[in-house]
Amino acid sequence: MVDTQLPADVLRDETRLPKVPEPNAMVIFGASGDLTARKLVPALYDLAAGRRLPMEFAVVGVSRLRMSHDEFREKLRGTLRKYHPTAISDNVWESFSRNIFYLPGDFREAGTYWDLKSFLKRLDRERGTEGNRAFYLASSPSFVSTIVERLGEAGMNEGENGGWARLVVEKPFGWDLKSARDLNADIQRYFKERQIYRIDHYLGKETVQNIMALRFANSIFEPIWNRHYVDHVQITVAEDIGIGARGAFYEEAGAVRDIVQNHLMQVLCLTAMEPPVALEAESVREEKVKVLKAIRRFSEEEVGKFAARGQYARGWVWGEEVPGYREEEGVPPDSTTETYAALELFVDNWRWAGVPFYVRTGKRLPKRATEIAIQFKPTPHTLFAGAENRGLESNVLVVRIQPEEGVSMRIGAKVPGAGFRVRSVSMDLLYGTAFLEEVPEAYQRLLLDLMLGDPTLFIRADETEGAWEILDPVLRAWAESEGVSLYPAGSWGPEQAEKLLKRDGWEWRRP
Amino acid sequence: MLVMEELRSVPVEGAMSAGQIERELARLRVNEDGIVGARASVLNLIVVTSEERAPRVTQTICELSGRYPSRVILVISDPDEEEANLEVGLSAFCRARGGGGRQVCAEQIMVHVEGPPADHLESLADPLLIPDLPVFLWYPNGELPHSPECGGMAAVADRLILDSGATPNCEAFLRSAANLLEDCVLAVGDLQWTALSPWRSLVADLFASPERAGALAKIRHAEVVHGSGGECQALLITGWLSNALGWRLESAKRMERGCLFRFASSSGEATVELAPNASAASLHRVRLVSENLAFQIQVSRHNEHTDARSTVMRGDKRISERTVHLGSSDVGVLLGEELKLLGRDETYESSLERVVKMLDLL
Repeated sequence: MVDTQLPADVLRDETRLPKVPEPNAMVIFGASGDLTARKLVPALYDLAAGRRLPMEFAVVGVSRLRMSHDEFREKLRGTLRKYHPTAISDNVWESFSRNIFYLPGDFREAGTYWDLKSFLKRLDRERGTEGNRAFYLASSPSFVSTIVERLGEAGMNEGENGGWARLVVEKPFGWDLKSARDLNADIQRYFKERQIYRIDHYLGKETVQNIMALRFANSIFEPIWNRHYVDHVQITVAEDIGIGARGAFYEEAGAVRDIVQNHLMQVLCLTAMEPPVALEAESVREEKVKVLKAIRRFSEEEVGKFAARGQYARGWVWGEEVPGYREEEGVPPDSTTETYAALELFVDNWRWAGVPFYVRTGKRLPKRATEIAIQFKPTPHTLFAGAENRGLESNVLVVRIQPEEGVSMRIGAKVPGAGFRVRSVSMDLLYGTAFLEEVPEAYQRLLLDLMLGDPTLFIRADETEGAWEILDPVLRAWAESEGVSLYPAGSWGPEQAEKLLKRDGWEWRRP
Repeated sequence: MLVMEELRSVPVEGAMSAGQIERELARLRVNEDGIVGARASVLNLIVVTSEERAPRVTQTICELSGRYPSRVILVISDPDEEEANLEVGLSAFCRARGGGGRQVCAEQIMVHVEGPPADHLESLADPLLIPDLPVFLWYPNGELPHSPECGGMAAVADRLILDSGATPNCEAFLRSAANLLEDCVLAVGDLQWTALSPWRSLVADLFASPERAGALAKIRHAEVVHGSGGECQALLITGWLSNALGWRLESAKRMERGCLFRFASSSGEATVELAPNASAASLHRVRLVSENLAFQIQVSRHNEHTDARSTVMRGDKRISERTVHLGSSDVGVLLGEELKLLGRDETYESSLERVVKMLDLL
């Protein structure tokens, strides 16, 4: 008999069985923090329970607090019970937690990393993690450069024995263009771009990925998705909540850094980009970067013309009186930090020349809603003019991302009866309701992609820098100007934002 | 998120045309405020069953409609009655998500047909299908399409879903299912095969480690332990494993309890023993033993059947173990999984084909 070797995936060579990552160890820096407890461990637990992790998988938490492996496991078990939306299985947890470990250490000290390296080698031997490592930086942003440098110095920027090493960086990706460039340079000194996974959990949401499905799986939209048919685009990320206990963080950030630089710019890119050659990382990211490059830069002097900011004052949201931003914990009474930002952007390319993209985000707006509204041009000649047809407006295609995922189209239809009255009708397609399946948490999807080595839903260095290039003048201009317009909580933002559209003859949609 | 559910139905008397049925269904979607609820449909599902089993099937469909809003055409077929008779019942299962969410309704058309028309079900189902959506044809509870109806229904359906788990004669059922693949010329699925996905995935995981990948070619023995309702699953997983590993079927024999199949692989001989036990679980354990007992690899049910435990032994030493959720074996859940697939499942078809060959040698 001939002794032949079968391919390792011979039993998984079909679509019905999902891909499972290679054996690996995930190292979480900042393991005692909120992100680990609220998002990472619940997502990893769900992946483990759902048979999506390899059998040889380990989690190593690193943080400054002194804890034993067992104490760390107990702590995570407690927080998992608190944050996991459904009951957890004791058996699955026992099995999963046997592969969770903890190493106390100071992120600044080289010794921490040599200890970690030796521990990971031990896991390779004892747990079969095969020299593959994912380093998740869930620590404070101020430690990112230091951790990367120490990992590099300890030789952990490459996997052991031919394995892989990947680095996950959480947003914010810098605080402005210079800091983003510095941060990217710091990271790229030790890790190659293909090893770096910049995570914006927004891209892990099914609904955001559906923008691509809508555009590129439906041929009816593509021919009209351009300057010939589109008058303008409105992208809204509205939140009804305030800043809660995040006062100190928000004072440093503001709406532009918190939402516009990442979420809004990503949604804009997905809306405006050309069809990628393939649904794989480099093709998709290449097209997004082209959009960012095409967005017209404005100078600090032009900021007043193309951007508006506001801050929420005391008001009423959903029947409840809520405090103003300056009354929130951790916010100074004279703060000028923006909780609302609106911009008029132009994508200067063949497809979109002359089409304004109005983007806005705000806290304490009347409702939580994220949507992209494509406002089409009116018909070239109106057959149905006159007072009878005052309710007829041009077509709008709205892609709703949340809370009710779907697409709606405003079209003109004849009112039944004598005469020819035409009114606008909204046709709704709730594809969120068509598939009521449990949608995996964004972190589940992204952690799995990370381990499978698929960076499509992660952000490349030039994407972060491209977004900062556009927004830097806005931040500088606002930092130098005094005062910020207030808007009552529960309203749709400051008056200046209305003016952005009014001068073009439009107004913001009510999502 | 809060989900409000409501079942609406309309009593129907006498014969109705397809057009009348459509109008009545639209009326069912009208809410109290007079607004017509949206209809969300991702597929057509034709279910063919008997009168006594219809209530249970309806229950499954109601549960399923939340995840796969469909137009369901429930056909209660009784071809043995001499006199032709046709009755129709309509219902809509509407759900509204909390916070002012819009209401979305899935529809069910019940067609009770007796006598000669029961041999021409396609003439009833075809006019009621929503155009442009895939058509699934489900025969629950171990039922199989009869020859005349199969031909007609194959013309309107894209995929046929069977359930070998509910049949008293597994071997005969699997042979018939294999015949259907040829006779009906349409893609066929089996809920018992669907139920094997977690098992197959877990078995595959056990060889994902480079250390054990080499053992795949050196498996010498497999033991599949199953409960009374799990014979078909046991046969199908044996068919899959032997196919995937490239084993050639050599012989088969019935034992006092269970059966034994002998295969030839490129590196030696391999045997698979199907061992029934008193377990209530359809599949209880799959154990693979490599040459010279280098590895013993096992997936078994655990914790009152909701979890599975995978274990790897090298000699007498346990080197790896984990527990995961096995997933639900509820018919509605399995059907939902099967509705995700369009087109042929070639792995299932080749496994079924292998099973028939195994049965031929018994």
